[in-house]
Amino acid sequence: MMRVLRTIPYTLIRMSRDYITLLLLLVVPIILITIFYFVLGDMKNQYGDLAFYDTAQLMTLVFQLFGGSIVIAYIQDDLFSARRQRILVAPMSLPLYALSISLCGMFFSIFLGFLLVLFTGVGLNVEWGNVFWVMYIIALLAVLSSLVSLILIFSVKNIKLAERLSDVYGIGCVVLAGLFFPIPDYPVITFINEYLNPLLLAANAISYAQSNLFSDAYIYMFRLGIGIVITFIIVYVLGRRKI
Amino acid sequence: MIASLNGIVKRYDSKLVLDYIDLEINEGQIIGLLGPNGAGKSTLIRCLTGMETVNQGNVTLFGDGKKPFQNKNKEKIGLVTQEISIFPELTAKENANFFAGVYGLKGEERKRRVAEALAFVGLAEQTKGKAQNFSGGMQRRLNIACSLVHNPKLLIMDEPTVGIDTQSRNHILQAVKQLQSKGTTILYTTHYMEEVEAIASEVVILDKGQIITKGTVQELIQNIQHEEKIKVEVSHPEEVSLANIQALPDVKQVIKDGNQILIVTSANSGHLDRILTIIKEDSGVVGINVEKPNLEDVFLTLTGRTLRDGGSV
Repeated sequence: MMRVLRTIPYTLIRMSRDYITLLLLLVVPIILITIFYFVLGDMKNQYGDLAFYDTAQLMTLVFQLFGGSIVIAYIQDDLFSARRQRILVAPMSLPLYALSISLCGMFFSIFLGFLLVLFTGVGLNVEWGNVFWVMYIIALLAVLSSLVSLILIFSVKNIKLAERLSDVYGIGCVVLAGLFFPIPDYPVITFINEYLNPLLLAANAISYAQSNLFSDAYIYMFRLGIGIVITFIIVYVLGRRKI
Repeated sequence: MIASLNGIVKRYDSKLVLDYIDLEINEGQIIGLLGPNGAGKSTLIRCLTGMETVNQGNVTLFGDGKKPFQNKNKEKIGLVTQEISIFPELTAKENANFFAGVYGLKGEERKRRVAEALAFVGLAEQTKGKAQNFSGGMQRRLNIACSLVHNPKLLIMDEPTVGIDTQSRNHILQAVKQLQSKGTTILYTTHYMEEVEAIASEVVILDKGQIITKGTVQELIQNIQHEEKIKVEVSHPEEVSLANIQALPDVKQVIKDGNQILIVTSANSGHLDRILTIIKEDSGVVGINVEKPNLEDVFLTLTGRTLRDGGSV
């Protein structure tokens, strides 16, 4: 256990020096949100609030959906590539090491989400409401996305396929949420968005909390939690087989 | 004994990769495991280290045949992987520190061992450099440092010199010899016979999943040594009496080729002096070259194929 714990600082250092990930999950959203800040200007939404607030919040959450790619990359590098041999020969628990990488990936994704909340809140005056609640929801979303990515990497043999499927998961959630184009009001899609789409579950949990409707916010938080429990069980079963 | 493989059989589906391998690795040895690509060297290493389960046979590590791959035994093994398996985003020092931590080193001992391992491979001046900015040879050396940082009793090196420059190769070979002098036992796999000839105290030749022969370099060569070739460069080749040389016992063939006389004799015939005397009666001697068989010839004799590419000759 201690031996695995000693690897954690180095895993986090590696992630912090992964400039491509930082570019895609931090710099790109900051640029996009800033562009929307200037494009939307003083435009208001149906409730009379600045429309930019909704956009900034949703975009912050959208990029959490892709945080799972961090876990995919590091699990692949350390457990399914040339480095696997060295890790297998080392006197430490492989499943524990895999867990530590996954937790580091989740933590890093949450940290990037925090930086986005900080940037939009302090830099662009976005009203997030209770920051602790927001970070809690972002953490749940990041954990869920990472677990989905783990399911993908444990389910397919080809890492590239896992990455593409991970992209499909992220983009699919965005499309179903109607952010790219309006989605028809079919019962199936409404059900998915109400119970399964993590992007809208997180957005609703934050939105209701901002309106002080915490009983509704808890419902969406609870649905996210159920998603985490289910995906965790699947990861556990698949991971035991694969590692 | 450091490790042993007894009757190891390994199959991938129906393909037999290791065919009843018996191997003993004794303390202080450098065992050169030689074989062409696809001979089963890497699979043997994977079975020896517990990365692969075997279909049949037993592995014993440090006298432990019941649970050879428990952490207590793993701590005593270092593996230099064929592919470079360091963390490119980390510095040399951070890489070594990562593995030092994994092997349970702490505090001052960890600092000391990290510094020693990096100095040993000649990276003392580059400790703060990121591995991704290193040359291929430097990455190879860092790969070795990470395997040495915990001072293993058994160091397994799987083709550690693939794709590097001569300078880095020589550095690695010297390092291997130094490690042996410090008491480390080394299993060194390669398909470069020159490396094995330079460092190995015992050679094991593997082909198609079978150990085809083992022994010291000299033993292996002697086993196949039937003849030697003596090339004498002379000043007046037309005046040399080839018949007199041919008349010597054990001389099989005498060929004149320009200024050179090629004499094929039985191995260790001891005729060099007499041949030179005969030639000197008729001509001056400009140069002599006696060609001895090497491990390439051993492999060729036993398999009918060349070692480097596994092709037929």
